[in-house]
Amino acid sequence: MTALLELKNLGVTYRTRDGEVEAVKGVNLSLAPGDTLGIAGESGSGKSTVAMSVLRLLPKSARVTGEIMLDGEDVTAMRWGRLRAVRWAGASVVFQGAMHALNPVRRVGTQIAEPIRLHAPEPLPESAVKARVAALLEQVDLPPARAGAYPHELSGGQKQRVMIAMALACRPRLIIADEPTTALDVIVQAQILDLLGRLVAEHGLGLIMISHDLSVLAATCARIAVMYQGEVVEHGGSGQLMTAPRHDHTRALAAAFPTVGDPASRFAPATSTPLPPEPPEAARRERADVLLAARDLRVVFRDRTGGRIDAVAGVDLQVRRDEIVALVGQSGSGKTTLARTLLALRKPTSGTVTYAGAPVPASGAGLKRFRRQVQLVPQDPASALNPRHTVYEAVAEGPRIHRLPGDEREIVVAALEAAELRPAEAFLGRLPHELSGGQRQRVVIAGALALRPGVLVADEPVASLDASVRGEILGLLLRLRRELGLAALVITHDLGLAWTIADRVAVMHRGRLVEVGTVAQTLLEPRHDYTKSLLAALPGGVAARAQIQF
Amino acid sequence: MSAITRQRRRAALAGIWREFTADRGGLAGLAVLVVVVVLALLAPVITDAAELDVIHAPGLPLRPPSGRFPLGTDVDGRSVLLLTLWGARISLLVGVSATVLSVVIGTIAGIAAAHFGGWVSGILLRFTDFFLVLPSLVLAIALSSVLPQGVATIILAIGVTSWPTTARLVRAQTLTIESRPYIERAKALGGGHLHIVGKHVLPGVLPLVLANTTLVVGNSIIAEATLSFLGLGDPSVVSWGSMLQRALTSGAVTGGAWWYLVPPGAAIVVIVLCFTLVGRALETVLDPRLRGTR
Repeated sequence: MTALLELKNLGVTYRTRDGEVEAVKGVNLSLAPGDTLGIAGESGSGKSTVAMSVLRLLPKSARVTGEIMLDGEDVTAMRWGRLRAVRWAGASVVFQGAMHALNPVRRVGTQIAEPIRLHAPEPLPESAVKARVAALLEQVDLPPARAGAYPHELSGGQKQRVMIAMALACRPRLIIADEPTTALDVIVQAQILDLLGRLVAEHGLGLIMISHDLSVLAATCARIAVMYQGEVVEHGGSGQLMTAPRHDHTRALAAAFPTVGDPASRFAPATSTPLPPEPPEAARRERADVLLAARDLRVVFRDRTGGRIDAVAGVDLQVRRDEIVALVGQSGSGKTTLARTLLALRKPTSGTVTYAGAPVPASGAGLKRFRRQVQLVPQDPASALNPRHTVYEAVAEGPRIHRLPGDEREIVVAALEAAELRPAEAFLGRLPHELSGGQRQRVVIAGALALRPGVLVADEPVASLDASVRGEILGLLLRLRRELGLAALVITHDLGLAWTIADRVAVMHRGRLVEVGTVAQTLLEPRHDYTKSLLAALPGGVAARAQIQF
Repeated sequence: MSAITRQRRRAALAGIWREFTADRGGLAGLAVLVVVVVLALLAPVITDAAELDVIHAPGLPLRPPSGRFPLGTDVDGRSVLLLTLWGARISLLVGVSATVLSVVIGTIAGIAAAHFGGWVSGILLRFTDFFLVLPSLVLAIALSSVLPQGVATIILAIGVTSWPTTARLVRAQTLTIESRPYIERAKALGGGHLHIVGKHVLPGVLPLVLANTTLVVGNSIIAEATLSFLGLGDPSVVSWGSMLQRALTSGAVTGGAWWYLVPPGAAIVVIVLCFTLVGRALETVLDPRLRGTR
């Protein structure tokens, strides 16, 4: 039997202003029908380039060498007409970011029907197209009536299902899924992975899945190839690769997504700088006064029809000095609204936010004083820094607003050093686009530290960062707590992250905190059903209770 | 610290200049503009202003181009070349001043509407819409007939009527900038309105405003010519619009005196074209998305 897809010595070179960049070199991979292959790697490792080269979807500046045999036919040598026929009918793609890959002004049914109509040898009757769309929607567990919906009327998971239905439309033999679950939360992610696994088994499809998260790939794919700097550095069965990784980079990728319940990863993010020892318990309890607190906080939105949405429905939460609290929950659970309200960026409908016992004023000098104490670390460091401001200006922004006494340059350098950007002098004149993602996040954190705050509110601080950098940033947060007693409220959908650095966990569901407790209590002995379902949806599962020793 | 900033700004400016010079059209436009501006500024030095006086006109009326008068003479016997040169002074002065006025009003209104939102935005936008739907030429005519005749009136009339498009543009750009997370970060750091507008929004919209300005100058020059042609300008100064008007009313047009018409007309076309070329080139440099595939 011939392989469904065979890449022989594949190389891709991009022409850029600064000469040629080898994005992919010497990749040999093959895939039989019904086989599943995961490609793992960080951004820039060439994993998406490999996937897109299969359908020749690369930009014009790319030059492909080697052979791409799809069903025994070389894709690189195909004529335009043949390529058009192969695209979607032979192999199809589930694109990254379902929210952007769907046309916002057309109904999803029409969009699913598009490839069906294009690839039909003769015009199909309308009823046949409709029936096929309905069948496809059923395959991806969506009610056929949703065909009439517009993309914005669907949730993230539903949109991803529509993308999968589109990919299945012409009964391709190969599906390429490019980060299909990146923007989704754990429960929806588990559903999508389950769906993909089932479709592959039922229809004997070949599946290539791309992700930066090894546990996601291990849950769906039989084999995994790990890419690093354009080359496949390790390739093997999922189980073997997860339990006994041979290459350093595989180990780093695996460590970045720790297993909840694994004592080895508790308070031990994958960082290259050693952490200071945990301060003695007694000393911690002594300074454990409540800093930031919410009392019966409520935020109500009105939707377009005037309906009431309780984004935050009566939340009591405390963040004490010298502790990291993780706020976990699915997207849409009200986490970010709660954080914005705690930061006084949004007015609560009722309830109060207090800082060190005193209520936070709504405006004026009191609010400005509060803003010095509680700092925001936004989700995406790339957009959280003004692209025109140098690192120096970005870090000095807070001290300038508050007219901090002392030498500005010293404050900035000290903050950068505290955020582990060393030597600080080398970074002062740089612009954000000259920095890597992890360095940008450090600059944002330095900007917050420059004001010597009491609490950091970090909204998904590592969600947009690469695996190897995640550990470093988490290590930094933990180190700041241990060295400076800096408290943090970390908002995340990633329970593994909570396991790695948090002291306490608050689980948010539909605007309410359904469970608040220490990490060990909440994640290992969950009482609420919702917490249990979150934990059950983790692709890596939870390590057995017996191993835990505290 | 300021040394680093200054060094970076200089490097950024050098980069912009390099990109700008890569655009041949923009460079040609800039070259012509520089020549015209220098000639206009030097007009009192290189020519004799007395020859503009109708009473001391050196030539015979409506003579075709000759050695003494390379572009012929007008109805009063003055050199058309000299008039065109002096006309450039007024056209450029009015064009640039009116643009500055219009861009300043437009930028303030646009940023305020986008930044404050709510009722401030509502009032400002309705006000903008009012000026947008009003035929600006009619408004300018009305204004310049009510106010005393003169260059200042023309500047005011053009400036006050041409700002709404700038305001709309600036508002849209401000809205996109204000939705960026770094604005939220600045708010969380404790920054007030002045800080956010001054440090983040204004530097963000300025490049766009600058590119827009060069395009508005072209329009203002045309508006000035139109108003002067309609006889609403200052009769005591020469401008391209008033030259065309004189040509029409004195019968030079029907008399076949093409040399009286072509120079001011061509001058308007060339100057507006130059400003447009420079403006487009600047736009492309400052917004790389417009560059397309080369």
